[in-house]
Amino acid sequence: MTAILDSGPKMSVARLLGAYLSDAKYESLRLLRTPAFSVPILAMPILFYSFFGVVLNGGGHRPPGFADMMFVGWTVYGVMGPGLFGFGILVAVERNMGLLTFKRALPMPTGSYLAAKLMMAYVFAIVVMAMLVTAGLTMGHVTLAPAKLITVAAVMSLGVIPACAIGLFIGAWAPASSAGAIANIAYLGMAFLSGLFFPLSGFLHDIRTIWPTYHLAQLAHAAAGMPTEGSLVGHAGVLAAMSGVLILLASRKLARRG
Amino acid sequence: MAKDGGQTIGDALARLTGVRKRYGDTIALDGLDLEVRPGELLAVLGPNGAGKTTAIAVMLGLQIPDAGEAALFGRSPHDLVARRNVGVMMQEVALPDALTVRDLIGQTSAYYPAPLSLAETIALAGVEKIAARPYIKLSGGQKRQAQFALAVCGRPRLLFLDEPTTGLDINARATMWAAVRRLVAGGASVVLTTHYIEEAEALADRVVVMAKGREVAQGTVDEMRALVARKRIDCVTSLGLAQAQAWPEVNAATLSENGQLSITTADAEAVVRKLLAADPTLKDLEVRRAGLSEAFAELTQEPVE
Repeated sequence: MTAILDSGPKMSVARLLGAYLSDAKYESLRLLRTPAFSVPILAMPILFYSFFGVVLNGGGHRPPGFADMMFVGWTVYGVMGPGLFGFGILVAVERNMGLLTFKRALPMPTGSYLAAKLMMAYVFAIVVMAMLVTAGLTMGHVTLAPAKLITVAAVMSLGVIPACAIGLFIGAWAPASSAGAIANIAYLGMAFLSGLFFPLSGFLHDIRTIWPTYHLAQLAHAAAGMPTEGSLVGHAGVLAAMSGVLILLASRKLARRG
Repeated sequence: MAKDGGQTIGDALARLTGVRKRYGDTIALDGLDLEVRPGELLAVLGPNGAGKTTAIAVMLGLQIPDAGEAALFGRSPHDLVARRNVGVMMQEVALPDALTVRDLIGQTSAYYPAPLSLAETIALAGVEKIAARPYIKLSGGQKRQAQFALAVCGRPRLLFLDEPTTGLDINARATMWAAVRRLVAGGASVVLTTHYIEEAEALADRVVVMAKGREVAQGTVDEMRALVARKRIDCVTSLGLAQAQAWPEVNAATLSENGQLSITTADAEAVVRKLLAADPTLKDLEVRRAGLSEAFAELTQEPVE
């Protein structure tokens, strides 16, 4: 080949890193500016927590542990939203509307499309955690020490990854028109069926371990110093394995498009 | 038509070699050879469904050919190093609605090693007035202008423009044409697909006409212009089809069921004189410039020698 084909400016490592960061910045920015996405993701967890965890707690007269369980439950709920919807709906819609094709024609760095969404999910999750911790400390009547609350929030941020994996799986396989509904059902279903907010019994109790939210909640309970079931390594392992399988299945679908 | 000389085969910035691509029962590309040479503006013309967009998609690595090869800067089109030299404006793309034109330029130019500055891109693409506006608030034509800005922001050495001026008003089209000319003057190559012959005439060094997934003609703009300069004559006459076809000025002739004779010719005056002389009862005579579609139709039926 002649020289003309091989010349051309080289991409420095700094610029490459900058490309990933810029994608993450613009992904977060555009979703913050999209109220249909940002309002439910940011506002619902704090609204629900304020209602169920603060108002219904009526000045802390509930049994001991109720306030702490509410706090942990709503952090699990809050941390799942950005990844589940950020990937679930957006990947399906962008697949449909030709944005993914355009991005593949551009010299976008490998994996930047997904990395940007992952970082966006973290940004949103951190904001949600910050709101919940603030509400918990000021109005929640939690018995946990402030340091414990922050530990719970930090452990919870690991939950972004399984949430993104579930979302990516939905986004890769579901049609754009129904991805939102599927993500919503998965979100609410997992939150309530894994016993985040009330004790389960019977069949629902027996199958609680199939929900990733259950395993995440166990990790949160451990971080809070509350009673847990099963082994922590086991819970983390289930989350990691489930995330790995879903990401694998999703990337096979996405890669098959050429 | 002979290929222009002067370029060795290794110099092509992008090349398709014997590419076949089929979608279900539809053959999109049927053994297409196409190359883009340094510094040229190549216009790819053809009717809808000719395979223009698929050809670009294969060059960019967006479609995998069923047979044949695609190369971009001597590499696989999937190679990031190759794509860093390329700017793209696609026909159908929906960009993130909530980002402004300025945001979109910032995001896209970050993918390139040595892009234009934001201000340079805005000036080149002529998007000063819409730079601060969210993409969702733009009209169809303004969206095309924004997409053009994204295509040029990376200082590409090869620019793919798929029907770039569809939906643009006259001023916006002129701005885009001027920008394309500046890029070519600066040494960039451009592949332009278009329906508008005047767009190819205004910009292109070389024209490839495609139909049914194949190249049916290629040459300079002047050669293509001669092809399209043909006139079409319609009339109702008792004259036989064979008689009209025998005249040397007639390129093609057809006779419809209701007796209307249609003739394509480069010398309308001579043919009209012969028609009137041969048939005094001739009526409904109409002479008009043959459209691009007629030129294409003719090309697909009789490959240019």
